[in-house]
Amino acid sequence: MPRTYQPGDTFTHVRECDRYRPIYYAGASGDYNPIHIDPEAGTAAGLNGNILQGLCTLGWVVEAIAGFVEDPGRVRRVKARFSRPVRPEDTITFQGRVTSVQDGRLTAEVSATNQRGEDVLKGAVVEAFIG
Amino acid sequence: MALDKQFIGREYGPYRYTLGEEKLREFTLAVGGAKPGAGTPGEPPAHVSPLLYDAQAAQAGPHGGLIAFPSFAVVFAIRPFSAAIADPALNINMQMLVHGEQDLEFLDVMRPGDVMTTTGRVADLYERARMGFVVVTSESRNQHGALVVKGTWSAIIRG
Repeated sequence: MPRTYQPGDTFTHVRECDRYRPIYYAGASGDYNPIHIDPEAGTAAGLNGNILQGLCTLGWVVEAIAGFVEDPGRVRRVKARFSRPVRPEDTITFQGRVTSVQDGRLTAEVSATNQRGEDVLKGAVVEAFIG
Repeated sequence: MALDKQFIGREYGPYRYTLGEEKLREFTLAVGGAKPGAGTPGEPPAHVSPLLYDAQAAQAGPHGGLIAFPSFAVVFAIRPFSAAIADPALNINMQMLVHGEQDLEFLDVMRPGDVMTTTGRVADLYERARMGFVVVTSESRNQHGALVVKGTWSAIIRG
């Protein structure tokens, strides 16, 4: 029986940014900006070390909704503001809450906080087909 | 920081990109948390959908074959944005630039072998609180001419 979804439903996804994740993501995505792969370059840019590519964090938001609707092919939209850097050794908790279900399409708000409870994204919204 | 509004509407592309199966697998596993090594993208973590890396499982699945991780689109659809922020005409100080906001719409799934053509334009340039904002929109169509990915890319130029 197909799963049903309702406003107020929640989902959670947890990801750790291991030490080399920015380098692995650079290799896969082509984003080799030195602030992501070189701690000295990050520090020189005033970031106190290297930071994860924001688009990798956005990918984790996609994973969160893809897992919830049980098929990455159903994901229709992801939107977010990058409000705070994710650093190596950070653990990010994504918490989603469904805000509407209409015409076979689900919309959810997603928060993303690090292990200190600080938001790393703002205004994150995802949409998926559930028909 | 002076952003010249006359460049709103400036266009970039078209850029062509062919989706390769191994590249898709590499990306989904790099985002997913696998540890890549020489000759392998690494072992898939349990949370990663087999529809993204296991050809046999994907064939029996809802899409009849492997599909791309949705935000794999950033790998090619970013091109007009990268071109705009590096455009000498816009004269942006890259050292002071951060990626501020991202919006991606996926109108269909992407599969290995798809050939995507991306175009983009500067949608807005403005200043606020002594910072500069650059907004680029992109559209990516597949080999059948269908619009598959729409992107809105926003950069902030500090100070």
